[in-house]
Amino acid sequence: MLTIENLVAGYGKVQVLHGISLEVPQGRLVTLIGSNGAGKTTTLRALSGMIEPQSGSIRLDGKDIAGLPAYEITRRGMAHSPEGRRVFPTLPVTDNLLLGAFTRFTGMRPRGDTSADLDRMFELFPRLKERRNQLAGTLSGGEQQMLAMARALMLNPEVLLLDEPSMGLAPKLVEEVFATVARLKERRITMLLVEQFAAAALEVADYGYVMENGRISIHGPADQLSNDSAVRDAYLGVAH
Amino acid sequence: MNILAQLVISGVVVGMIYGVIAFGYQLTFATSKTLNFGQGEALMLGALVGLTTINFLIGQSLGAFTAYLLMLPVVLAFGLLQGAVVEFLGVRQAIRTKSEAGWIMATIALGIIFKNLAENIWGRDALRFPSPLPEAALTIGPIRIQPMEIAIVLGAIALMIAVEVFNRRSIYGKAVVATANDRDAAGLMGINTRLVITFSYALSSMAAAFAGVLVAPITLTGATMGAVLGLKAFAVAIIGGLSSGVGVVVGGLILGISENLTGYYISTGYKDVPGLVLLLLVLTFKPSGLFGSAAIKKV
Repeated sequence: MLTIENLVAGYGKVQVLHGISLEVPQGRLVTLIGSNGAGKTTTLRALSGMIEPQSGSIRLDGKDIAGLPAYEITRRGMAHSPEGRRVFPTLPVTDNLLLGAFTRFTGMRPRGDTSADLDRMFELFPRLKERRNQLAGTLSGGEQQMLAMARALMLNPEVLLLDEPSMGLAPKLVEEVFATVARLKERRITMLLVEQFAAAALEVADYGYVMENGRISIHGPADQLSNDSAVRDAYLGVAH
Repeated sequence: MNILAQLVISGVVVGMIYGVIAFGYQLTFATSKTLNFGQGEALMLGALVGLTTINFLIGQSLGAFTAYLLMLPVVLAFGLLQGAVVEFLGVRQAIRTKSEAGWIMATIALGIIFKNLAENIWGRDALRFPSPLPEAALTIGPIRIQPMEIAIVLGAIALMIAVEVFNRRSIYGKAVVATANDRDAAGLMGINTRLVITFSYALSSMAAAFAGVLVAPITLTGATMGAVLGLKAFAVAIIGGLSSGVGVVVGGLILGISENLTGYYISTGYKDVPGLVLLLLVLTFKPSGLFGSAAIKKV
C-alpha cells in the first residue's frame, strides 16, 4: 500500500533522514520506534507532504506522491494525525470532524454520508459525542488526541499515519489509546504508528522498524523485535 | 445635547466605514499573518469602478437607485479580483520565502501603483458620485441624518454578518477558520491553504471596495480618497485587535466618534489626535488590541 525508498528529508539545510526505506502493506499495522530525535516525526511529515522530501520515492497505491503538497496527498487517501494533535481550537468538535472529510465535499454537499461517518466516530469515541458542541481548544489532552485520530479517520483513509498518540497522556489514557489502535487494526485499517512507548507499540503492531539517527537500524516482525536483545536494551527499557 | 447626539451619529457612520476596512485587514491577517497595506487603494479603486459603472447604467436611462443596486455585484466582483491580484503579485512570494517584511513593501508598492493608475484613468480631480437615495436629510427626534448614512451603517453590518455566516455555516468557511487556526493541520485535511489565503485577500479587497461605494455618495470620489481611510482603518484594527470581529466595530466607532467630538468641541485641526493617542495607549498597554487575544507575534 505504502512503499518508501531511500527517503531523504530535513529542514532547510539540515538533513534529518538519510535514506529511509520501509513498507506498510495493506491492512497491516506497522510501527516506527526509536529514541527522541531519531527522525520518526520527520519521516511522517515527509510522507504527508508537510515537508518536501529532498530525494527518494514515496509510493501510495503504486503512485509516486513524493513532493506533492499536503492537501494533494490527503486527497489521495493519506491521513495524518500529527504530533501534538493539532486540532482546530476555535472550532467545535463536530466541525473538526467534518473538516477531516473536507476532501469529500464538492459544492456545499459532501459525497457519501458524512453523518454516518460522524456516528461511527462517536461510537468509536463516546467521549467525543458528549463533547460534540464544545470548542476543541477546551478539551482535555486525551480528548484532543481522540479528536485528532477521529478527524484523520473521517477521510476513510487508505493509510493512516499516527504520530505519538500517547504523548503527554496519563497512563490510563495511554492504555485507552492503544486499545483504540488495536480496534482500528481489527478493522483492517492500514496504519503507520510512531511511538515512544516502544514495548506497547510492538505489542499491537504486525511489523516494526527501529530508527537511529535518521536511518533504519533494525526491522522485522513485531514479536521478533520485542525479543531482540539489542532492541530490548536500547528501547524497551527491560533490565537483564 | 442635540448637537452632541448629531456628532455621535455622524461619528458612527464614519466609524462603520473604518470598521469594514479594518474587517478586511483581519481577514488576511487571520489566514496568513499578513496585511494588505494597499487596502485604502482597494477602496478607492472599488469606488471609481463603481462610479464608471453607475454612470454607464444611468446613461442607459436607469434610475440612480436601480443603477446602484446593479453596480454592486460588479464592484464586489472587481474587489475579489483585485485582492487576488495583490496576493498573487505581492504576498505569495513573501509567504513562500518566509520573508518577514517583503509583503509590507510589496503591498505598499502595489497600492502606489494602483493610485497612479487611477490618476491616469480617472484624473486627479475629485468626482461626484450619484447618490442612490434622496439627499435630503431625515429628521429623527433631535438628529438629522441622510438616508445614505443609514444605508452605510446597515450595509457595513450586513457585509460583516454575511462573512461571519459563511465562516460558521459552510464547509469552505470552516476551511478558512481551520487555516487561520493552524495552517499545516488544515493542509492535512486536504485544504489548499494557499488558495484559502488568496481567497482571504480577495474577500478583504471586496470588503474595501464595498466600503468605497458605500462612502462615495456622501464624500467625493478620486484617486486620493483611500489613503487616509486605509490608514485610519489600520489604527482601528490595532485598537480593536486584529483577531476580534467585535473589536473592529467598537474600534471604528471609538475613532469615528472621537474625531467628530474633537473636531467640534476643540478644533478640527486636532480631530485626528484622540484616536492616535488611543492607538499609542493600546500599543503600550494592550498590544493585542482592546478585544484581541494575544495576536502579536512574540519575538
